[in-house]
Amino acid sequence: MPEETILNDDFLRELMNVGEVDLLVGVPTYNDARTVGQVVQAIRSGLLKYFPRQRAAIINADGGSKDNTQELVRAASISDMHHADNLYALRTLHCISTRYTGTPSSGTALHTIMAASDLLRANACAVISPDSTSITPEWIQTLLQPVVNDVNDWVTPVYRRHKFEGLLIRNLLYPMNRAVYSSRVREPYPTDFAFSGRFASHVAGLDTWSEEAARVGAEMYLTIAAITGKFRIVQTYLGPKSRGEGAPADLVAAMRRSVGTLFWSLDSTFNIWSADLDPEPVVTIGPEHELDPEPLRFNRKRLHDMFARGVGELEPVLRSILSHSTLCQVQQVASSPEGELGYTDELWAHTVYEFAAAYHKSVISRDHIVQALAPLYRGRTYTFLAENRDNSPEALESNVEALCLAFERSKPYLLEMWNGRK
Amino acid sequence: MPLPQDALWYKDAVVYQVHVRAFYDSNADGRGDFRGLAQKLDYLQDLGINTIWLMPFFPSPLRDDGYDIADYHSVHPSYGVLEDFKAFLDGAHQRGIRVIIEMVLNHTSDQHPWFQESRSSHDNPKRDWYVWSDTDTRYRGTRIIFLDTELSNWAWDPVSKQYYWHRFFSHQPDLNYDNPAVRETMWGVMKFWLDMGVDGFRLDAVPYLVEREGTNCENLPETHVIIQDFRRRLDEEYPGRMLLAEANQWPADLRPYFGGGNEFHMAFHFPLMPRMFMGLKLEDRKPITEILQQTPAIPENCQWCLFLRNHDELTLEMVTDIERDYMYDEYAKDRSMRLNLGIRRRLAPLLDNDRRRIELMNGMLMSLPGTPIVYYGDEIGMGDNVNLGDRNGVRTPMQWDGGWNGGFSTADPESLYSPLMLNPVYGYQAVNVQSQKRFDHSLLSWMKRLIRIRKSLAVFGRGSIEFLYPANHRVLAYVRQYGKDAILVVNNLSSSAQAVELDLRHYKGNILIEMFGRNIFPRIGDLPYLLTLGPYQFYWFRLRKI
Repeated sequence: MPEETILNDDFLRELMNVGEVDLLVGVPTYNDARTVGQVVQAIRSGLLKYFPRQRAAIINADGGSKDNTQELVRAASISDMHHADNLYALRTLHCISTRYTGTPSSGTALHTIMAASDLLRANACAVISPDSTSITPEWIQTLLQPVVNDVNDWVTPVYRRHKFEGLLIRNLLYPMNRAVYSSRVREPYPTDFAFSGRFASHVAGLDTWSEEAARVGAEMYLTIAAITGKFRIVQTYLGPKSRGEGAPADLVAAMRRSVGTLFWSLDSTFNIWSADLDPEPVVTIGPEHELDPEPLRFNRKRLHDMFARGVGELEPVLRSILSHSTLCQVQQVASSPEGELGYTDELWAHTVYEFAAAYHKSVISRDHIVQALAPLYRGRTYTFLAENRDNSPEALESNVEALCLAFERSKPYLLEMWNGRK
Repeated sequence: MPLPQDALWYKDAVVYQVHVRAFYDSNADGRGDFRGLAQKLDYLQDLGINTIWLMPFFPSPLRDDGYDIADYHSVHPSYGVLEDFKAFLDGAHQRGIRVIIEMVLNHTSDQHPWFQESRSSHDNPKRDWYVWSDTDTRYRGTRIIFLDTELSNWAWDPVSKQYYWHRFFSHQPDLNYDNPAVRETMWGVMKFWLDMGVDGFRLDAVPYLVEREGTNCENLPETHVIIQDFRRRLDEEYPGRMLLAEANQWPADLRPYFGGGNEFHMAFHFPLMPRMFMGLKLEDRKPITEILQQTPAIPENCQWCLFLRNHDELTLEMVTDIERDYMYDEYAKDRSMRLNLGIRRRLAPLLDNDRRRIELMNGMLMSLPGTPIVYYGDEIGMGDNVNLGDRNGVRTPMQWDGGWNGGFSTADPESLYSPLMLNPVYGYQAVNVQSQKRFDHSLLSWMKRLIRIRKSLAVFGRGSIEFLYPANHRVLAYVRQYGKDAILVVNNLSSSAQAVELDLRHYKGNILIEMFGRNIFPRIGDLPYLLTLGPYQFYWFRLRKI
């Protein structure tokens, strides 16, 4: 049983005290003292306001913070003595914190939370990122309600974003995930999400948690598990997500967590995605996408330079990953003057699929493959920003849709690459 | 058996609340009476209670089950005569049982001669004994208590062409306590019964004695002055007698009724009762610990009165809206079970006739700080009849045996004051004293044991309480201490088995002796004390340093 190894004795004792719950909210942390208190307070308020009768617990899985993160979480706990501000707690709301063993990773944290959810037989469970400072108590209702109603198993968020935020999702994760798995999940790499007890039981028992890709990119892995496991998926609109929140400081690390896991998942799910899949509509509660049209400044010159330099410096690596034709086209794009750079949808789809196939075949170190995609992604990002600089949200969304269609059209090419040469 | 002479006897009391009409009919007229009640004193003595609280037995039109009194100096003819009451009182005292009677100070029946005189003309000397007004707009800040039946606290009197004030039913006009003659007369009423030998009064509806414009007409300082005056006279002329307040208020608002130990001896803890039911349903100690934390300390000579059920609805006035909704949904899904702001059900049906929950609730009743009250019939698990109007469904005849009229009366069943419980679950053939007396493991036998153990140590009635807060919120644990005696009470509020670790380091070195079986449990050491409890199980441990 996986929970026997992942739940230490102290944590198990605390879970015994919590007992069976209806709802569980998990907060994975690592040195998040700056924001975690605010987030836990909002979670607590949301539980008290919208689920006053349900048995609930907040569980913090911490990777060994050195900045009092765990103490702050525990301080937000409601004991017999305390009330939440302006809210009345009908019953005890436990808020417990555990330090999981091993190196900090979202996968271990989420695995801990899911094992706890499974053990406490939670009917519905939400996970909130500790840096989601734009959280309101309504998020808790919005995320959990679709599960509480016993209809859905996996709830992903839809945020109101600036039109130039979430670029990796718009340019790669959403289009490729949609094309490969025929599921239109807008945020396949969510940081705030919810799931059913049924789903938690299924996932907590999987053997793949020990694998690096599942550990570092657990959010992506869970979305794919929900899709490929035929769990009922819904998207729900949460409202604005503060600018910069969750933005990866390190692009390569972010790509390892998301793109790397997406590529990795293709191996074990080949039988599923290689078949002719009927497109699975995903119901969205609230707006499907909301974009903030305010201008946002980007250093496009820097993007262009990094792209051009990367293609040049990584040519030997790219040669082992990309087909000759694709590499030539990429090099041609990279040599374009700044104002004329155009990384087209078709070329980008082919590039990504060739990287995926190379990852499958491990033509070089898989980690190097993901790293090598980073400069090309910068080139694609440059094109996206340039194309949509003056676009309305609707026009931008139309461009995203066109990219998705390009990925879908190119799916046979992925299969060809997968099975074919190199 | 002589009555113990301790002035604080009420702290050690286990009270049995009974309605004369409902208990035993000695003359086959279909209504219980004092002679019948006297015949059942041996039963009550055997049960182990040491105090009886009698509901109103005065002459009355009985439009509010006797709380509409038409004569304060006599006994309702259905229940006998004064001599019968006296004989019952003597019989109780001979068995070491004290008797508390109801005293409805706030209002009379509109059939009371005082009111008849008062309404007869504006010049009548008793006109000012009640609260009259030309308009129905005075005291607008006052809530209506019987929301289901009354639209206003004022009622038009067509005889004297004025409105009169009533906090309860419109046929219950409030007495005017601003009138010294009323105060003197009511003290005279109390003296009448004290001279006869009653041991105390349960004073009904005390917060409402006085009205003042611009207030909510509850808990006013003038009311406290009146109570203090009654108490002073009581202590001077009848030492050792007791006043019990019926004031359905929050603990902080109730606290003034104890004054500095110079108002009431006891007061009902109304907010605790619904929270015990809530805690049980939520499987969470929070509602109970929370309300007891909010309960202020009271003077040494005072005591809270605790109860699970009584003759009224399970009142939900002293809960928040969210708690009330929860209670309704969990305990009164059928809307016919709801009345005013409460639930008109008995203990056993409220707890789904689950013996474990009934025992747990009684265990808490007997071990939390205060004097417990057992409502007649709850010791055998009687049911209720929500098809009867008002609160009559919880006032059906006591079920003595499985024979004619459940042993309550030899009258024709059709002539009983109330239909008997007949259904196969709660009917008198299934639930009755005689059948439960035959078995050691019946609820009745268990209640006797519980009361006997409760009475064996003064710590239950007089001890302090220290809540333990184990991490398992389903477990309610506390230590009661009085002098050298200490008991540990551990209650599992949940429907499943629980493990709990108790921090008992303060009691290190003590052994635990389980009070029902007298078995010894391991000595307390430095480590958390681990206990496991079955569903709804509770323990009473005596802590002994041997």
